[in-house]
Order: sequence, then structure tokens, then C-alpha cells
Amino acid sequence: MRARGNNPNGTNRGPPLLEAHNVSRTFRVSAGVLRRARTLSAVNDVSLAVRHGEVLGLVGESGCGKTTLARMLLGLLPPSSGMISIDGQPISSLGRRDVATLLQPVFQDPYSSLNPRKSVGAIITLPLRIHSAPQPATWRARVEAMMERVGLSQALYDNYPSQLSGGQRQRVAIARALINEPRMVICDEPTSALDVSVQSQILNLLQDLRRDLGLTYLLISHNLAVVEHMATRVAVMYLGRIVEEADTDQLFRAPKHPYTQALLASVLTPEPGLGIPDTHLGITYPNPLDMPSGCRFHPRCSRVMELCKRVPPHQTISESGTVECHLYGAPSPADLTGAQPWRS
Amino acid sequence: MSERVLTVEDLRVTLPVPTGNLRAVQGVSFHVDRGETLCIVGESGCGKSLTALAIMGLLPTRAERQAARLDLQGHDLTSLGERAMSDIRGNRMAMIFQEPMTSLNPAYSIGDQLQEALRRHKRLSHQDARTRAIELLDRVGITAAASRLKQYPHQLSGGLRQRVMIAMALMCQPALILADEPTTALDVTIQAQILHLLARLQREFAMGLVLITHDLGIVARIATRVVVMYAGQIVETGSASAVFSLPRHPYTRGLLACIPVPGRTRRGEPLGTIPGLVPSLVGSIAGCHFARRCPYAIDACRAAPVPLEPAGDGHQVRCIRHREFTTGMFSAPPVAVA
Repeated sequence: MRARGNNPNGTNRGPPLLEAHNVSRTFRVSAGVLRRARTLSAVNDVSLAVRHGEVLGLVGESGCGKTTLARMLLGLLPPSSGMISIDGQPISSLGRRDVATLLQPVFQDPYSSLNPRKSVGAIITLPLRIHSAPQPATWRARVEAMMERVGLSQALYDNYPSQLSGGQRQRVAIARALINEPRMVICDEPTSALDVSVQSQILNLLQDLRRDLGLTYLLISHNLAVVEHMATRVAVMYLGRIVEEADTDQLFRAPKHPYTQALLASVLTPEPGLGIPDTHLGITYPNPLDMPSGCRFHPRCSRVMELCKRVPPHQTISESGTVECHLYGAPSPADLTGAQPWRS
Repeated sequence: MSERVLTVEDLRVTLPVPTGNLRAVQGVSFHVDRGETLCIVGESGCGKSLTALAIMGLLPTRAERQAARLDLQGHDLTSLGERAMSDIRGNRMAMIFQEPMTSLNPAYSIGDQLQEALRRHKRLSHQDARTRAIELLDRVGITAAASRLKQYPHQLSGGLRQRVMIAMALMCQPALILADEPTTALDVTIQAQILHLLARLQREFAMGLVLITHDLGIVARIATRVVVMYAGQIVETGSASAVFSLPRHPYTRGLLACIPVPGRTRRGEPLGTIPGLVPSLVGSIAGCHFARRCPYAIDACRAAPVPLEPAGDGHQVRCIRHREFTTGMFSAPPVAVA
């Protein structure tokens, strides 16, 4: 396991609640009837640990593999290689239901993640039914209490999703995720489909729930301001690799990887006079089917060196996390003689 | 220098719905000069997109448009028929939409689509149109432009497609560009690049740019002037620096308080919220549209329609209590609306 810095947020530093060990996932992509299928490497040898009470923010552009990683962590997609463990147990040894009692998702689009033909009450009750929760007579009271907890009026119990606003729907999705008292919630872009004023309500709710129920979150978002506000640690993903991971303060104050720096520079805060930043990123996002040689980021990197084009960088330990860039950490002699696999 | 490109006065858009008439835009007025970026900002349903479509003459057929004045470079748009409007659209004013995949025609090559407007409006030869298309693709930062002309929209990434949309809008050198959420579907890094490009081209071609967005961050960074809309009305307008340094309408203040700003908002502390829901725009609302959600609302707010009042230096606010907010009591960053 990797060495880690101190966590300034004072969360428990027990064993990780959720851990990915060298996880990879590839897909076979067919290019047409007559062409050979090619391999798309969506997640490549990723290790990640989320400790109890932490909020790990996972950021990166579309296509970087963050949703594929989330699906593997949820047990919805088996990794091609590597292992995922929850509370020390390999996810492969747990059944779908066991995973679901520990880990629940909240998805981006509350319009498509709720069954339009079920009432709010039925949607939130469903997990209790599936897990054969004890004392069915108490279910209604539990659901109503949960609705109140997430800020939904109990009067909405018999309403259908189509009668709710976007924010209310997302509250239903959160209530459904929490009804069986999971230990961790994976939020995949939980607010990006919502208006600003509704987004802040949902973020506040997630913070309250985390504090009151002792939850742990993995927060996937492309909105870095949201991640900065919510996360205790941040992992930055680029083309299937985690290129930098650090405590939130550290990452935002002193980003190391040129990609992290470009991402942070792209955050448009409401400060007039600063203008639109020039991120110095090339305009073309690489085709994941045709991965660049050496460092995957080199075609867009403003600080690219000769070495970067040939040799993939190693992960090196930084103050409070890791970074994977030739600017930090000298290449080994083996690197200079030829291309090496990601980890030797 | 400050040639007026667009004047909008008392624009109204009404949509018939099963329960009555939805008054989506209720008396919106603004103007845009050459070389100026006007941002219209607001949340879903505030009427910002319909305002743009009404100017372009692209409203759904069932919608009804009224305006005291709708003037583009001396052309009275309210009096023009469909034929005359299509001579203006894509020529004197052009629009950039949110989702380039749905606004580009998948069955035609990039080159055909780029050249269409030129050949329609300027009657250029095929060769001249092609030369201009290559020049503009180059201007929007697309490399190997000549070979791109043969490509189809599905062969391009989202960022490249939006660049093609921008090139297409620029083909006839319009005086005005209306961009409706041009970067909402894009990644943050690409968003910054596209906005950077739009701002540069707007300066180079000295166009008027109307940018519609829900993102106050974008507004602060790109706008010369800002129009904040709520429930079909302009609630605040003024220069970007004035509106952001001293927002006077409780809605503007509330919106700003909702946004986490790295280094400014404290991590994990509650963000501001605006409780309640946007009122239904079917039928009429007595008094201020925001009163039901406003923490500062008093009886007088609900009694009579609130006019847009001047607050100095071109700043205008639709709030009867705005003078109370101008004192240092609520200086920026704005207070959280409880």
C-alpha cells in the first residue's frame, strides 16, 4: 500500500472503507463489420482508497474513465484486472445485495434515474422490499422520516416523479440511497443537471447528511468549485489514470501536475476583471483508442519534455498524496533505455 | 465606435398552455453595441432562451411575440416577414446553440454546412466560399482546415463541433451573434478555450455578442454588461463590474451566495440557498415576482408591479428596497439568503 500524508481534516485513519488495488478495465470496441475490434482501455491500473468519513472528489474530463471506475466500485461492472474491496472484503466475494447495503449510488440525472411509473413512496420503499427489511409495518414511517430528513414534504408520498422539480427528484434519489443506511454513497455528478440555487440546496443537504449519519462519499464531478467545497481529498483522472491525488487544500493551493494546473485555471469564478484564462491545453482530446505514447498527457502539456513523449511517468509520492509526472521524480535508468509498462 | 447593433424594447413572449397563457417573457428591454458582450443570466424557465429566439424570429409557431421595438442595425424586425427574416438570419445576425451535435446537420459535411450561408446570402462562387470556410476554420483554431471540410459532424469532438458552429456563425461577418449556453455541454477546459475564442473573435470582428448562460462565473469573466432575468422579467442590469461588486437585487445576491468559490467560501460551510420555487407564469403575478422567495419582502412588494428603477451609472434594479442594500451593510461577497 502507498504511503500517505496526514489527513488535516481529522477523519479516522482506520482501514479504507473502499479500496481499489491496481484496477483496470478494458472494452472491446467494434469499428465496423469488416474491421477488427480494438481494445479501449477506460481505466488503467488505478489504485484508490477512501477512508471512513472522507469525501473523495474524483475529477476529470468526459471520457477520462471516472464513471467506469465508479461502476466498478459499485460492483456493477467487474474489473478486467485488479481488485476492489469494501471494508477489507473483496467485492467479488460479496453478492450484489451485500454491496448495496454498504454502498449506494446517486446519479446525475434525476429525470432518468427514477421510475416514472412509481410513486415517491414506492421508489424510496423499494430498497427495503428488496432487502426484506424487518417489520414491514414500520416501512411507511421509516420512509416518511427519511423524506423529512432529505427535505421532502411527506405530502409528496403518493406523487409521481413527473410532478416534482429537479431538486425534489434528486432528494428522492438521495432518500432512496440512504433508506437502508449505507456507509458510503457514490455521487456521480449529483448536481450538474440542477439550477444553481437548487445545486446549493443539494450540496448543503449532502454535507448535513454526511455529518449526521457519519457517511463517506465519493463525489464525481467536473465542477471543481463544487469539489473544492465538498471534498477532503481529490483525485484527478486523465485518460484512465489518476495523475494526481492530494488533500483538497494542497491540491488547490499548489497543484503539481500540469493537467491539474490547467483544470484549476479553467474554473471560472464570479470575479469580474479576471477575464477568460488561456489554459494552454491543445484543443484535441486524444482518442482513447489510440493512446499517446509515453505520458498520456504529453500532446496537450505546456511543459512537455523529450522524455515525456517516450516514457510513461511513474507515480511519485508528494506531500499529501501522489503525482504522476516526469517533472516530479527522476526517471530510472531503465526508463531511458526503452518504454516501460506503467509500473515495473 | 459604439454603434448600436440591437435595440429591444418591451419584448413579450406568450405561449399557450393547457391551463392558460404562459407569459414567458414580460416586457424585456435592452440594447447591444458593437464590440460589446451582453450576458443574459438566469435559471431555467426565466425566459432567457425565448428572448434570444424571439429576436432571431425562431420562436415555436404557437408562441406569440410582441415588442414595442426590435431593431437590428436600422431594420425593424417586427415588420419583417419570414422571407426577409431569413435574409437577415445567418447574415446580419447569427446564433450559436448549446448542443452542436443537434444543431449541425449529420447528413452534410462540415464544408457544405459552412458554405451554405455564404452562398445563400453573398452569392459567392463555390471556390470563394471554400476559401472563406478554410480561413474561418483556421481562425477558430482548427488545424488542417482543408481536410476537415470533408468530415461529418460525428467525426468531430464536442469542442471541435462548437468551433465549427462558431466558424459557421462568422461566415457572413454578422454584426450580432446570439450564443445560447454555448459551452454548457462541454468540459471545463474546453469551455474556457471556447469562451476565450469567442471573446477574441468578438473583439477582432467588433461584433455585438449576446451570451445567454446560467453560469455567473462565465458572466463575470466575459460580460461588458449583464442582464439578470427572473420569472420572465429583468430584475437587474448594469455593467458587469457594478453588478458583481455591488449586486442590488436580492435574487442576484442570492444566486451569487449559492455558488462555491474556491478560496472565498469556507469548505463544508453551508452555501446560500434560495428557498421556494419559481412562480407559475400562467396568469399574472401581483407585485414583485421574487417576493415569495425573498427574505427582504414586505407587504409593499406584493401590492403593485415593481418597475425597473435606475440605480446610477446605467445600473437598474427591479426592487423597491434596493437603496437599503447599497450601504456597506451587505457589501460583497453577498450575504447568504437564509
